[in-house]
Amino acid sequence: MNPTYTLLEMRRITRNYTNMFFTAVLPAFFYIIFGAATDYKNENIGNGNVAMYIMIGMAAYGAVIATTNIGGNAALERQQGWGRQLGLTPLTDAGYIGMKAVIAMTVAAIPIALVYVLGVLTGAKGSPMAWLVSAVVCLLASSIFALYGLLVGTALPSEAAVGAASGSIVIFAFLGNLFIPLSGVMLTIAKFTPLYGYAGLARYPLTEGYLVDGTQDPLWLPLLNVLVWFAIFGIGAVYFVRRGRERQ
Amino acid sequence: MNPNPPATTVAAIELTDLVKTFKGARGERVRAVSGIDLRVESGEIVAFLGPNGAGKTTTLDMVLGLTNPDSGTVRVFGERPRRAIDTGTVSAVLQTGGLLRDLTVREIVRMIASTYRTHTDVDEVIDRAGLRKLVGRKVSKCSGGEQQRLRFALALLPDPRLLILDEPTAGMDVSARRDFWDTMHADASAGRTVIFATHYLEEADMFADRIVLVAGGRVVADGTTAEVRGRASGRTVSANLPRRSAAEAITTLRGAPGVQSVDERGERVVVTATDSDAVARMLLNDLGGTDVEIVTASLEQAFMALTGDPSTDDNPISSASALDSGDNDLSSKELAR
Repeated sequence: MNPTYTLLEMRRITRNYTNMFFTAVLPAFFYIIFGAATDYKNENIGNGNVAMYIMIGMAAYGAVIATTNIGGNAALERQQGWGRQLGLTPLTDAGYIGMKAVIAMTVAAIPIALVYVLGVLTGAKGSPMAWLVSAVVCLLASSIFALYGLLVGTALPSEAAVGAASGSIVIFAFLGNLFIPLSGVMLTIAKFTPLYGYAGLARYPLTEGYLVDGTQDPLWLPLLNVLVWFAIFGIGAVYFVRRGRERQ
Repeated sequence: MNPNPPATTVAAIELTDLVKTFKGARGERVRAVSGIDLRVESGEIVAFLGPNGAGKTTTLDMVLGLTNPDSGTVRVFGERPRRAIDTGTVSAVLQTGGLLRDLTVREIVRMIASTYRTHTDVDEVIDRAGLRKLVGRKVSKCSGGEQQRLRFALALLPDPRLLILDEPTAGMDVSARRDFWDTMHADASAGRTVIFATHYLEEADMFADRIVLVAGGRVVADGTTAEVRGRASGRTVSANLPRRSAAEAITTLRGAPGVQSVDERGERVVVTATDSDAVARMLLNDLGGTDVEIVTASLEQAFMALTGDPSTDDNPISSASALDSGDNDLSSKELAR
């Protein structure tokens, strides 16, 4: 771990105000619109209320957008020659990835914190366990999507790749039940998509797996989803990073 | 200065039968480096000179451990390249090392410094690279020459025994090139081994004490700057020969001392020789030659001859600014009978 490098990276990221705004403020705005400002926010769900349910979804969305961005930008900076510059230093690939993961989770903590604070202020209710576990799951599992960003950024070597990665997260967010509750065939399909497991796991302490249509996901379902996508993104990222290195 | 005394036996760089191929556009194998052997002693300043695509960058990438050779070995002060990088024994200024554009000059130096266990003081390398006035400037606002000095500062951080510069002044204008080499000259007294790739003959001539000419992935000439320039100082003598005795005259010329090559071009014979006066005398007095012309070969011509690189307009070697102008004047004298 290299604190100087990590702090300078953080400074770089926070200096990009536009990006920071969309990373931090947009999920908070979504929470207000879809959660805090609705009539049904105080209705009960599992160990809490609807506001809490929507709060977790928006925090998860913000966290994942942040980590995908950081992963995609890491791929971009490596392709633009920074990888060669770092190749002249004792910094290893593992050290670099570890640092980026810490940075990604630190940045992901910003929208999570903001949305949770708004949740507290606007009447989101849940058991202490639900508050704690959902926040921790949101934070830790968001790092998986840094791999996704790295994968897309390396597989499609262009500046558009970061946009493509973030844009696809919006689609995955709909399929992940983050914005509107799905049902029927769409719900069945959604269970195979990457954000479904992540959101399901983060909400599990609140909902115990119960969905809006009354069915229940067993705990292994979101868990398996997260692990499988973690493996796919990890293996894919390693493959494309290696292929990219061979090509130079 | 050197903590490990047997520096006389351990070469700064030792390349043995180095080969590297790449996949071409149509899937065919392209040999970028095909069998390079090279030994650079500690303290030498070597120019790696060659046209674009000669295999310079690929070779240097292998010395730095950025690319692995298909076969052959690389040793840097007796170590594997990656190990030499880890210990800060070798560092480099790369042609295409992208910098993080949204950091300031000082931030980027601090960032790279933090990856080393021990490093030269950040402010010291900033001063040595002449960046003091630019410390607070964003990298994106720095000119090409300033960015190259920044890369130089980064390369100085581990205080390397071997410094590699890959076309450090490519794309710079004349004054930026001069500034860069002035900075380099100021640092050269440190007794570092320096190897730099270039396609500017002028730079090789000014800064190196040894020139290694590469072309087609091979070393085609290797010697001190004086030696390589010596090869370039040969002159070309041409003359018309009487048709009936031409074949005999050519045989005589080929056997004459100091003659490097004899070519027939129609009625004219073109002779490259170290002693052009002797050849001219022979042509005029003994062989019946007429319209004798003596032309000084330029360093450029020697380079072309040695690298087998045809003089094309898009070749940087043939651009006037890239040449040692003193040697480029085609001084010819007509000898009338």
